[in-house]
Amino acid sequence: MTDTAQQATPAPAAPPLPKRKLPIPLQHAGSRYAVIGVWAALIVVYWVTEPSLFMTVPSFQTIFGSQQPLVFMTAALLCTIIVGEFVDLSVPAVYGFAATILPVLVVNHGWPVWAAAIAAVLCAVAIGCVNGFLVVKVGVNTVVVTLGVWTLLDGIAQLISSDNTISGLPSSFSKIALTQVGGLPISFYYGVALMAGFAYVLWFTPLGRHMRFVGASREVSRLSGVRVDRIRFGSFVVAGLLAGAGAVIATAAVGSYNTASTDPNLLPVFAAVFLGTAIIEPGRFNPIGTFIGLYFLETGIFGLQLHGLQNWVTDVFYGGVLVIAVTISTLLHRRTS
Amino acid sequence: MSAFVTVSQDDAVHRLKVANLSKSFGVARVLGGVELTIAPRELHGLVGQNGCGKSTLVKILTGVYTPDPGGSVTVDGQPLALPVHPLAARAAGLSVVHQNLGLVDDHSIWENVRLARYSAGRFSRRINVKEEKRQVALALARLGLEYDLDEKVGALAAEDRAAVAIARAIQDHQDGGGLIIFDESTRALSRRGRARFFGLVRQVIDGGASVLMISHQLEEVVEATDRVTVLRDGEVVEGGITTSETDAAALTRLMLGRHVITHGRIGSHARDSLAVSVNGLAARSVSGFDLDLKKGEIVGFTGLAGSGAVAAAEAIGGAREARGGSMTVGGTTLRLTSKRGSTEDFIRAGVAFVAERRLEQGLAAGLSVSHNLTLPRVRSRGSVLRIGRSWQAAETAAMIKKLDVRPPDPDALVGNLSGGNQQKVLLGKWLAGKPSVLVLHEPTQAVDVGARHDIIEAIREAAHEGAGVIISSVDAGDLAVLCDRVLVFRGGRVTAELTGDLSPDDIIHATFEAAGPQRSAAELTRKGVDR
Repeated sequence: MTDTAQQATPAPAAPPLPKRKLPIPLQHAGSRYAVIGVWAALIVVYWVTEPSLFMTVPSFQTIFGSQQPLVFMTAALLCTIIVGEFVDLSVPAVYGFAATILPVLVVNHGWPVWAAAIAAVLCAVAIGCVNGFLVVKVGVNTVVVTLGVWTLLDGIAQLISSDNTISGLPSSFSKIALTQVGGLPISFYYGVALMAGFAYVLWFTPLGRHMRFVGASREVSRLSGVRVDRIRFGSFVVAGLLAGAGAVIATAAVGSYNTASTDPNLLPVFAAVFLGTAIIEPGRFNPIGTFIGLYFLETGIFGLQLHGLQNWVTDVFYGGVLVIAVTISTLLHRRTS
Repeated sequence: MSAFVTVSQDDAVHRLKVANLSKSFGVARVLGGVELTIAPRELHGLVGQNGCGKSTLVKILTGVYTPDPGGSVTVDGQPLALPVHPLAARAAGLSVVHQNLGLVDDHSIWENVRLARYSAGRFSRRINVKEEKRQVALALARLGLEYDLDEKVGALAAEDRAAVAIARAIQDHQDGGGLIIFDESTRALSRRGRARFFGLVRQVIDGGASVLMISHQLEEVVEATDRVTVLRDGEVVEGGITTSETDAAALTRLMLGRHVITHGRIGSHARDSLAVSVNGLAARSVSGFDLDLKKGEIVGFTGLAGSGAVAAAEAIGGAREARGGSMTVGGTTLRLTSKRGSTEDFIRAGVAFVAERRLEQGLAAGLSVSHNLTLPRVRSRGSVLRIGRSWQAAETAAMIKKLDVRPPDPDALVGNLSGGNQQKVLLGKWLAGKPSVLVLHEPTQAVDVGARHDIIEAIREAAHEGAGVIISSVDAGDLAVLCDRVLVFRGGRVTAELTGDLSPDDIIHATFEAAGPQRSAAELTRKGVDR
């Protein structure tokens, strides 16, 4: 606010609009909240059709209390997708791997639970480093690397868990996830804090601005003094960290893990991240939109299940929303470029 | 020309006649009423600056774009339906050899020549290889060539690749008919390769076809073509001048247009102290380049493609890793050889590099004016936890005002601005950092006269405030009005230094004399990569 303003002619320039807080293009004001409107409509429909079951406190506790693993995984995917790595397919596998070794170390090998938790997170970070090294330093295609890492980790997780559910984590450890705050488990608030923090970083810090530009154009960023490769590598590492931390919290809540529950996470994660591009900042991957998208999806599925529809509903709903969300996001993007 | 049948109407004497052809994108009119006629067996040149509409014209002729209503394209007297259908164009004998030749390297010669023309057995749907190869051998024979048709195209020398592309272009021509459009096809060729290329082109013409040659190499156009048409800002400035009556310098003047000289020269702002001193710079063809640039001084780097002018400017700007050399800016010594993972250290030392390709190197189209403009300083002016809004708003508002960016909206997406306004935002992005060394690459390329005026004024103001300015440009008009001195590069060395009262003509002459007809083969081969 010092030299530049004075150096230009003394007449005050057009008021620089400090009121608007969020850097959001104006022209999509309508589409920005469309999904939130659909969400509200969905709630009204379920309310009317299943009044006794849907509009109850336990229902909302189920919807809001159950999504912590997906919140962490979508945040991990956002890290890399925002800096322009098209899709990191390994996120659910890294999560599943960390969630497997935690009970395996504690139950089968007698480690103290905290040491095992730290080891699980460090493993996830190390896998992020490997992804980052191969993609950023060596230049291997992201999809190929992460597809391979995904399958590899699934295999190792099956091996060390002997394909069984490993249970028996000390119940005291579950406090880190299940402590009730205002009727919801504390893990819900971890998710809120994570996404809010992520959004803050993107909107208000130099790091976040650099991430956005690296995602938009590596060459522009490089010539503007941004250390492009460091940011890309760091994104993979943080993605590993978030997937690992999410896994520890989720496993603490349940007390056990089965590797079979790893892969079904892939589609909801992608569906929520892409659906997020239609919310708040249209055409852009963004944490708040992803967070809302995630609960939108869960509300939809929960309501359909209340109506007695079975498991196939989940696949149809997630798959359908992913395709529709990507289509909408592509169209929004075309409008701006 | 004996194969030619009766000439019943005027149009029939022309192989190609383009009349009143226009093309608009939204409100922007990129081609306005273009007229072009090419006679049978004529080698016709088409020249013009980047963005003058050359490629738009080619894209209309090949059916990529739909022209505005009202124009017509006639081949041998037969009107082509618009938009041009690719198969109709092929049937009429129109073919194009693109810049990169359009060859698939790991496929054989015959597969490349017959691409998209394969005939298949009626029931088996197998490609009839024998017949295909016969056709290819026939096309090559028309050029007097014989190749092993199974050889992979990637293994061929550049001039042989060009020959394969030409064979592909002429295979559908009727005897004594056809028109090939060469769109910058000679870029990858060495001097010897070019001689052979033009030999083949002559052969094509002797076979009765016509050629439309689009090229940036003016001396090549002057040497080879029969007539030449000059495009500027989407309009024909001169249609079909007889080439023997002109020269490269005259064509350059036509391409640039007199209207570019809208500024008078003003006195130098140069002071006694140095802004930057460059020692022993070596990059690409350049070696052992030294420069002492005073504060407030404006120096132009110019030369033909591959001369090293661009490489030197990019190395000084920090955009390109050099082989050797160092430079001192305000007490900081920078090694030009350090790995260019980011230009952070250059920016911190006070160097700003305004890149040529604004949407690939300069600005992110999908992000806002304000974000783009402040990007280089978000770390230095903000804290780790917060960029801070007030300085961003002030900086953006100041630059929007100074450069008259329209619309004056800090939150507008850069991609929605016109080219001239994008260029202003790009310049503002670097001026706002008050650089002590400002390196600009083609700062007024493809912007309109008004934007050019604002940009030139802003560059002068930066010099007046004490920045040392380097302008790398082929635009003699820009260099003449802005520069205190101009360094003309050739083959990696400075062959002329122009000072005093500069005129565009002097700069053009120095550029072309330095390059002249005796350019080395090595220099020509570098061109494709060096820009």
